[in-house]
Amino acid sequence: MPAVTLEKLTKVYATGIRAVDGLDLRVNEGEFVVLVGPSGCGKTTALRMVAGLEEITSGTLRFGDRVVNHVSPRHRDVAMVFQNYALYPHMTVRQNIGFALENKKIPAAERDRRVRSAADVLGLTELLSRKPRQLSGGQRQRVAMGRAIVREPSVFLMDEPLSNLDAKLRVRMRSEVLRVHRSIGAATLYVTHDQTEAMTMGDRVAVLRDGVLQQYGTPRKLYDSPANLFVASFIGSPEMNLYEASLEATEDGAAVVLGSQRLTLPGRTDVGQYYGRKIIIGIRPEDLGDPALGHGTRAGATAGGGHGTHPHAPLAADARLIEVLGSEQHVHFSVDATPAGGAAAAAGDTAQAGILAAGAPNGVARLDSRSAIRAGTRVMFSVDTERLHFFDADTGQAIATSSS
Amino acid sequence: MSTTALAPPDGTETTASRSETRRQRRRRERLEERDAAIPAHLYGLKRGTVPLITALCALFAIFTLAPVVWIIINSTKSQANLFGSFGFWFARPFEFFHNFSLLFQNVDDNGTYFQWFGNTVLYAVLGGGGATALAAFAGYGFARFRFRGSKAFFYLMVGALLVPIAAITLPLYLVYAKAHLINSIWGMILPSLVSPVGVYLMRTYVELSVPRELIDAARIDGAGETRIFFRVALPLMVPGLMTVLLISVVTVWNNYFLPLIIFTQNRLFPLTVGMGVWSQVAERSGGNTNLYPMIVMGGLVTIVPMIALFLILQRYWRGGLLLGSIAN
Repeated sequence: MPAVTLEKLTKVYATGIRAVDGLDLRVNEGEFVVLVGPSGCGKTTALRMVAGLEEITSGTLRFGDRVVNHVSPRHRDVAMVFQNYALYPHMTVRQNIGFALENKKIPAAERDRRVRSAADVLGLTELLSRKPRQLSGGQRQRVAMGRAIVREPSVFLMDEPLSNLDAKLRVRMRSEVLRVHRSIGAATLYVTHDQTEAMTMGDRVAVLRDGVLQQYGTPRKLYDSPANLFVASFIGSPEMNLYEASLEATEDGAAVVLGSQRLTLPGRTDVGQYYGRKIIIGIRPEDLGDPALGHGTRAGATAGGGHGTHPHAPLAADARLIEVLGSEQHVHFSVDATPAGGAAAAAGDTAQAGILAAGAPNGVARLDSRSAIRAGTRVMFSVDTERLHFFDADTGQAIATSSS
Repeated sequence: MSTTALAPPDGTETTASRSETRRQRRRRERLEERDAAIPAHLYGLKRGTVPLITALCALFAIFTLAPVVWIIINSTKSQANLFGSFGFWFARPFEFFHNFSLLFQNVDDNGTYFQWFGNTVLYAVLGGGGATALAAFAGYGFARFRFRGSKAFFYLMVGALLVPIAAITLPLYLVYAKAHLINSIWGMILPSLVSPVGVYLMRTYVELSVPRELIDAARIDGAGETRIFFRVALPLMVPGLMTVLLISVVTVWNNYFLPLIIFTQNRLFPLTVGMGVWSQVAERSGGNTNLYPMIVMGGLVTIVPMIALFLILQRYWRGGLLLGSIAN
């Protein structure tokens, strides 16, 4: 039985704004589920409904098999970590962590023992008699975690708990949060706007947009077969390259017409209904390779039997800008095709284009750091055609990809 | 505001602050405050603006403080000197302690100063303290709960601010007569318990200093609403409450009109009304009684507790209690 079940959960505010619209979600016992989406997509509202801090307009919320729609937060047995930590400023760390136990009228000795063990897990033992204002951001974050875990709750909720930390600390706290999650094993619902956080932390990830669930699955599933254009452009960094294209038949399969170029897809016969129609094609930056380094050389890819066995097609483009990251490099290129899909992506690129003047890049490739491609030259990428993503241009929904 | 200025997170600060004395801490805080402010010459004002404003402020300060200085100086004078010597300088004989002792006398059966003083303290403590407590409850309620009619009630209460008490004297007196509140201390205390200004101030203060998230966190932590109020919200409201306490105590302390209409018995008078009686007697007698030194001394003793209260409460205005609950 799932620990938490959201059924058609809907929140309509008095202003008429539909913050969450028919959200269906199951969180299994001990599972770490991440709710991700751009700001204003309703993810925090959803979380607050689960916590009981927000009234549910319609739909059903179950903890186990118990409907808790009208149960007050104090009787829901949930713990929550707030984005701003919401520590009680006038209480010491010890009192902050112990407050929930105090409310449950747990005897002082037992309370002290549990506060200590929670502090121990989080490395807060030294700080127990400090006040929140005497703590650094990372320490406050840990106190907020401690306040939640000391409860031994059945459901654990986190609302962007890492977003106020600096970049380095955030990465470290990710594994910290996961370690704590494993040690307490409670079903966890974690809200973030950061897709990297979602991908690295979630057992399963739910992508939300405008209050509507876009896709719910493992990070791998979301990455490899995004259900629609939104998920495709939201998940992954750098973003997936999306272009308007069309499909046509060839004697041994199909071909993608991308601007003035053709990418042949030998043996591909399952997309017949889209022949001659406008579609949107997606290419992950790492599915573009530098042929000079051998077919299908992908940055970060483990050398496997896949090398050379995947069919590849050449794609000509102009390299505009190269970002060297050390372990890999990002080649921003322009190809004579119309970028599509992620409106956000397009906007971001035009912003950059202002600096780069003419010939703004409309795509990015992730290449091995050994690649010798230089900015300002004409390059020939090899595209892993097995890993292309196809989307219906009208609905934005994914067209079954061959790999799935 | 950066929290690091107050407490470096590495822990050196707390160990240091434990060994430092209270005086050292005050000095450090004062210096930190000075460092945090931008020096006046960087404000980008025209040359001469700052001296001009300073001069205006000084004039206003003199205007405000002159009566206080006068009352201190003249509390040392005899009746003859009160009228015969320069008002802003001392004159022999030095009668301060003699004048003070006069306050314990019952003058022509017109009442005793310290009887009135006790009354005023009683009314101020019960009325002002009660008004503060009610303002805390009501302000928190208006700020953090939405209930049917909350807006209407609030505006009704704020509207009460606009009605001058003189306008409702007659109805008030009639109601009091029916309710048997004439010559009852409750007639004085009950109306003092409601402070629209206090409620208004507390509502604003709660909105600014008790974040909703903190209340949400406490609810998740399993605290009931009463507990949330006393354990979470109230400690954060203390600086605001001190302001309300001061305002409402001063209001009751200085209240003249209400006790004037409801008390006819001398032993129930607060200082304001009692001193008024003395003034009238003194005037009627054409300066023949020895009442004037008592009135001056009585005035001085009346204002001293309020100055003391202000000095005691001002340390609560340091605020900053919230630092650290919410990430910068």
